[in-house]
Amino acid sequence: MNAVRQFGNGVFSMNGREWSLLVACLLAIVIFSVASPHYATSGNAATVLRNSVELLLIGLGMTLLLAMGGIDVSIGIVMGLAAIAIGRVLGADGNPALAIIVGPLVGALLGCVTAAVVVLGRVPAIVGTLGLLGVYRTAVFVLLGGQWLSGLPSSLTNLLATTALGVPVPALVIAVAYLAVWLALRRTPYGLHLLAIGNSEEKARLSGIPVIKVRFITFVISGVLTGIAAMFYVATYRNVEMTIGSTLALDAIAAVILGGTSILGGRCSLIGTVLGVLLLRILQNGLLLIGVPSLWQPVVTGVLIIGVLGFEAVSNRFPLAQLRRARA
Amino acid sequence: MTETFLVARNIAKRFGALTALANVDLEIRSGEVLALLGDNGAGKSTFIKILAGAHPPSDGELVIEGHPVAFHSPKDAAASGIATIFQELALSENLSIAENVFLGRELKRSIFGIPFLKRKEMRQRVDGLLKELDAHISDPEAPVGSLSGGQRQAVAICRALNLNARLVIMDEPTAALAVAETRKVLALTRRLAARGCAVVLISHNISEVFEVADRIVVFRRGRKVAERLAADTNHEEVVSLITGAHPDVRALEKTN
Repeated sequence: MNAVRQFGNGVFSMNGREWSLLVACLLAIVIFSVASPHYATSGNAATVLRNSVELLLIGLGMTLLLAMGGIDVSIGIVMGLAAIAIGRVLGADGNPALAIIVGPLVGALLGCVTAAVVVLGRVPAIVGTLGLLGVYRTAVFVLLGGQWLSGLPSSLTNLLATTALGVPVPALVIAVAYLAVWLALRRTPYGLHLLAIGNSEEKARLSGIPVIKVRFITFVISGVLTGIAAMFYVATYRNVEMTIGSTLALDAIAAVILGGTSILGGRCSLIGTVLGVLLLRILQNGLLLIGVPSLWQPVVTGVLIIGVLGFEAVSNRFPLAQLRRARA
Repeated sequence: MTETFLVARNIAKRFGALTALANVDLEIRSGEVLALLGDNGAGKSTFIKILAGAHPPSDGELVIEGHPVAFHSPKDAAASGIATIFQELALSENLSIAENVFLGRELKRSIFGIPFLKRKEMRQRVDGLLKELDAHISDPEAPVGSLSGGQRQAVAICRALNLNARLVIMDEPTAALAVAETRKVLALTRRLAARGCAVVLISHNISEVFEVADRIVVFRRGRKVAERLAADTNHEEVVSLITGAHPDVRALEKTN
């Protein structure tokens, strides 16, 4: 009777993987606190959370993409393009309302472009988005004309880097985004269709699922979340540099996989993604504070990805893990 | 109980110069298990693909309850109440039993224009179906990936029933199953017919066929060569019909 209820799970319900991620976060915090006197301060905690905002939003979209058996390695530069658009609008007349509309809009448009290539064009997601990554990277250079977009007006910052009802606006937006994605995934037909496609596109089609529509929509959702992330980026830094978003896709994929979402699709965890993002940012921040140059951050992320996937591949070979999975 | 559900008249299927099926006349009745037998390449699979809407026939017509039908896709066939359970079941292992049964046709309620799943209702419906089929699956929330081959067949049958299928076509449902599982699936097949469903079963296992089928049709080289009530024939006769050693088949093949 008590078969694993991996399906009826609640908004924040956690499994073993997610609890161990939480423990890993706490452990990292303890270790860094001991190692560095600058670590355990409220200022630093705020920095870690601040640094997690964009990755949390993009990670939610990436979770959906991976669960569907898709991926988007261009997502960081998509955020860069959205940030440029926001910066230009903001620089022109300083109207934050317009800037807030432009972010998600450009994100949605670029999501449509990705979907057109990957879904309608039937190019495998990893290859299609890699191609777009090349195109977009050059687009960023051309649009910025070799110069940073800097000294942007503070109007957007005043709007987004504040608190509403005593809660920081970014936290509020992330909470709403999380809840919306969770509802879509666990409480609507869309979520079932997404997971079925991640399991097997062919079987999903045979079951009468509108595969193309679901895949297209998911790339657009990911684009919108990325556009919102760009908004917070511009609000925080008030500039857009040439290398914007260059490690974001790597970070997002690492955090999502760390959180227990299957790289092969069909299985995902939103709370796992949140914890994965936090762990990643805690590690990156902590290593910086104990004196490891930031140059090494992508190395840490890369090693984490390989470590997690390698561990899963090895542990799947052991009969015990298989038995446990069979009973799940 | 055994009213005619579907009549196939003079069905033929040609792939270029190759005639896969010719002059097939067949009646499929509600509440009856009809077994299609024949060697590999005899035309059984081609015939059920025509029934399932996967292939259009080159010739002949299908009549459902007196009305001629033309299927252009499996969706058309499904709309006419025909469900096919293929050997490689189209189930999603990562979803629950209830989710699989309703996949693509979920029950939902609209809140602010957003379609939300009626999970409780779907679960109860599937629970009822599983009990009715006596499928020995206690938890409709369990993932299909955790089920045995026979239990997965039961889920596929539930799915067909839930789509209000009036004809269920089963393509070698026991081919990959252990003995005990095979017994369960055969029992399921009988219960399906008892519910008033028409069942078409393809199988290579003749003793199995005798156990569940009311009628047996033998295909050979793209033609229907024999039709027998299971009660009126025996194992040896059926084998000789399949291999072509039976005098009736020889006579038929001489005249052609």
